[in-house]
Amino acid sequence: MSLLSRRSEGRGEPARRRPDPLRIAAFGFSAVALAAFAGLIAVFALEAWPFVEAQGLAGLFGIRWSFRSERFGALPMIYGSLAVSAVALAVAAPIGLGAAIFLSEVLPRRARVAAKVGVELLAGVPSVVYGLLGVLLLRDVAVRLLKPFDPISGDTLATGGLLLAVMILPTVVSLGDDALAAVPRSRRTAARALGLGRAETILRAVVPEALPGLASALLLGLGRALGETIAVFLVVGRQDNQWPERLLALEPLARAGQTVTSKLGGSETSLAYGDPVHWGALLGLGLLLLATVSALSFAGSWLALRKVPRA
Amino acid sequence: MLRARLGLLLIGSLATATAVAAQPLRVVGSTTVNPVVVEAAEILRNERKATIFVDTQGGSSGGIAALGERRAEIAMISRELEPDDAKKFPKVRFQATRVGIDAVALIVSRDVWDGGVRVLSRQQVQGIYEGTITNWKTVGGPDRRIVFFNKEPGRGTWESFAKWLYGDPKKAPDVSHPEVGANEEGRNKVASTPGAISQLSSAWADGKTVFAVAIRRLDGKVVAPTLAAIADGSYPISRPLQLVTDGPPRGLAKELVDVVLSPRGQALVEKHGYLKLPAGDAKKR
Repeated sequence: MSLLSRRSEGRGEPARRRPDPLRIAAFGFSAVALAAFAGLIAVFALEAWPFVEAQGLAGLFGIRWSFRSERFGALPMIYGSLAVSAVALAVAAPIGLGAAIFLSEVLPRRARVAAKVGVELLAGVPSVVYGLLGVLLLRDVAVRLLKPFDPISGDTLATGGLLLAVMILPTVVSLGDDALAAVPRSRRTAARALGLGRAETILRAVVPEALPGLASALLLGLGRALGETIAVFLVVGRQDNQWPERLLALEPLARAGQTVTSKLGGSETSLAYGDPVHWGALLGLGLLLLATVSALSFAGSWLALRKVPRA
Repeated sequence: MLRARLGLLLIGSLATATAVAAQPLRVVGSTTVNPVVVEAAEILRNERKATIFVDTQGGSSGGIAALGERRAEIAMISRELEPDDAKKFPKVRFQATRVGIDAVALIVSRDVWDGGVRVLSRQQVQGIYEGTITNWKTVGGPDRRIVFFNKEPGRGTWESFAKWLYGDPKKAPDVSHPEVGANEEGRNKVASTPGAISQLSSAWADGKTVFAVAIRRLDGKVVAPTLAAIADGSYPISRPLQLVTDGPPRGLAKELVDVVLSPRGQALVEKHGYLKLPAGDAKKR
């Protein structure tokens, strides 16, 4: 994106000679945002440095976290974060995308707007409210659902995942609906004219066209799930060092666990102060989280912004 | 934590906005001391139009950290000051004012209590904590798995518990249990989980949803965490409730401490189930 906005393609408005002040201002503001982000990463990296110096980055990738013996292996927490997000996505993806198709393709226009407002209101509910609802309603449900695995309490990775599924559902529905609505009407008309039924039109003509947008909805939902703290904190059990024997087994999901965010949300940050290595390890966790969530948001936004070729 | 920090920052910046009118007082720390301070702050708000924020992020050690980083003027702690506190924040002169006394109870869920577990010895508690005792049957209860909800390290409750078991919290072995933070969370989770046990401020052990077991001491005496047993020191896990300031309390901080030490404040200490200071002791300070 050059400031002079010279367009080499033939279409669009003609190239301007002078820089547009609006463009410069917009560029300036984006630069501030980018600089703030870079500063954030720099501060995190700086604070995490004593840990890297003492134990190396590899120190973060052990399977035991025990600050009293200076062991800061974060793999069980990374596993926990991935596990809750996977559960969340597994539940939210079919329901969310299904609801998005219903909203965009089946509901009459006026009802769609009303439903969409409702969904977006849900997206704005503070996460601590979801967390408390999770404590009140979901823990008992989890005990019953997970009965075959004999969980010791309702605080499990699966409970965290279910709660996250509820929380990211509005994001997935709303963005998924946007992606579907962006598919031009002419495509549907053409499909119908070719003799396709309603379901076929949706599945063969509309959904494939909206795939990047739908994937983006899921990625942004995943990003929210990975970064969510308070709600997960309340129902995940916060048990350290739950490294599963088999990574893809389902059974560990029925046990309490710890995610990167629930660790950072706990009281250990107060204890770590004044101990540069311990503090550095926690900041390293933060950096890891920041990097993952940013990468997901970036990928999601990139997919969403990609131009869908107009029919 | 990041979110909490940001929240505090936000409160902090709101506070600076109103600071021109009156310097606000920020109090952070133990959920055990919290209810007393919240009501005492309400008195000051009404009578002196004072601006006071009370928060329980991170428990006792969270309070010390907030005071150490000057994010608060008063730290509420439900334990003794430790040499480590001063070591971490060498610039701060921590001064603790004792405002009441509390005990750490070992609470169990109803099924365990009804199943006959009313007394535990220190060895039994240690075995349960370290995972060598895993079934209530072993300690005279029902045939049920033991679920230990461990209070987070850094919480006054946990520190007092670890001090009782191991002499020094730092000597506590590494164990892996689900963790609980604030008192409400600990109580709710124990109440709603069969076979559960946890450490909790004795004043919060209501005897309706969670039940405090008595401790069998080395001399064979069985002591329940009653106010009388805490007062005469026979219950082994008691701890002070304290308000910590940087140097002697000044200004609004002093007013708040004074209110808590006054008969009105001490009545609040009692109302919330803690032991108030012995008569005469409060005035002396």
